[in-house]
Amino acid sequence: MVVAGAKFNILNPTVEAIPDNTVLAKRPDDLNGKTVGLLSNGKRNADTLLDAVVSLIQDTYELKGVVRLNKGDPSRPVPKHMLDELLEKCDVVITATGD
Amino acid sequence: MTLRPEALVSERVEIEGGLSEAVEMCYQMGWTDGLPVVPPTEEKVLQFLDFAGRNPSDVIGVEPVRGRVITAEKVAINAVMAGCLPEYMPVLFAVADAMVKPEYNLHGSSASTGGSAPLLLINGPVVHKLKFATGHNIFGPGPDRRANATVGRAVRLMLINVLENHPGVLDRSTLGHPGKYSFCIAEDEENSPWEPFHVERGFSKEASTVTVFTCSGPWQLGSVWDGTPEAVLTAAADTLLGLNPGQSEVLLIMSREHQGFFKDAGWSKTRVREFLSQKATRTAQEWAAAQKAGPPELGKETEPVPVLQSPEGLVLIAGGGSGGPWDALIPRWGRGANSHSVTMEIDTSRMP
Repeated sequence: MVVAGAKFNILNPTVEAIPDNTVLAKRPDDLNGKTVGLLSNGKRNADTLLDAVVSLIQDTYELKGVVRLNKGDPSRPVPKHMLDELLEKCDVVITATGD
Repeated sequence: MTLRPEALVSERVEIEGGLSEAVEMCYQMGWTDGLPVVPPTEEKVLQFLDFAGRNPSDVIGVEPVRGRVITAEKVAINAVMAGCLPEYMPVLFAVADAMVKPEYNLHGSSASTGGSAPLLLINGPVVHKLKFATGHNIFGPGPDRRANATVGRAVRLMLINVLENHPGVLDRSTLGHPGKYSFCIAEDEENSPWEPFHVERGFSKEASTVTVFTCSGPWQLGSVWDGTPEAVLTAAADTLLGLNPGQSEVLLIMSREHQGFFKDAGWSKTRVREFLSQKATRTAQEWAAAQKAGPPELGKETEPVPVLQSPEGLVLIAGGGSGGPWDALIPRWGRGANSHSVTMEIDTSRMP
């Protein structure tokens, strides 16, 4: 039953995400001469999947190199030292989330 | 301290009408766990914060992966919605503080397909002070268990509302389990033949604590035919073998009828752990045949591999009704290794 004229406030229980000023990195026009990083999340067969993806890429492009890293624990973010290594050595990085 | 409404920073949603309109609005806004909530009015939220002696902007914790800030105001809003009493607030502050510890891995455990829920274990004088249930139907509902039901529920509402842990979005549980509605128990220290859990963790008996474990649903098991510790634990070991090997922590909630066998026979917790750990063992070949963790992880085929990484991984808790030969084994998410249980002391200084 709506009580005519009755008004009151309830409070929002949620917390908004903090706005992120991250900008997407520029994508290269092609991968010839580039180093591709593969970051496994540590789940079974993740390495196999990433290897299959890079193999397909190599059918089309001549890569300078491939860097393979495995963060080991799928339930935690990638450690900073791995991110730093990928930044230093790679032009692009392929990763995936899944089970 | 008497706070004023201006001190609250959360967005206001205006309700025109009465209680039922407010309940419906909470559904429409996506703020519920599927059950109706108590509308969080300014008056109720201020009452909760005043009792707790906290300013709305006090930071209770920050979830470390996504940086979500949990303020006293947000804890209070979700506590009101869950149906809590103001005196439950110190328990919820301790829970939030525990869950944001990096070793607890709140983000990973709550997002996982594994579908675990935070299990809250209450110890110490606060159990009686706030009337947490320790006996019959310890995991279930009842008119006498407002504390168990609403404290557990408030935790879930905080995950939904503060961390956006929504099914299919950031909660990727394949199945989940009913404990995701509310999963809060208290140890029956009065009748237990053993040292309370929080004392094992290094707290004094007089301290009040809450321990948070990431857990799957309880597996009820029973041993009826032979009233001995060996029989009870042999049945428990057989159930434990349903898990993958390498468990770093598993909970065994033992009810009073079975506790009596151990008390009469003079078994310590150490003896229980060692017996169970030795019983719950298979060879690597047997584990592989049961499709539990592939052979490369287990070493040589005839090597015995226990379910528990070490006997100390068995968390033994006294709880449940006075009659009935039933216990509960509760597996931990990720074999207990990806999330460590955390025990925090509860500030009871402001409780009546």
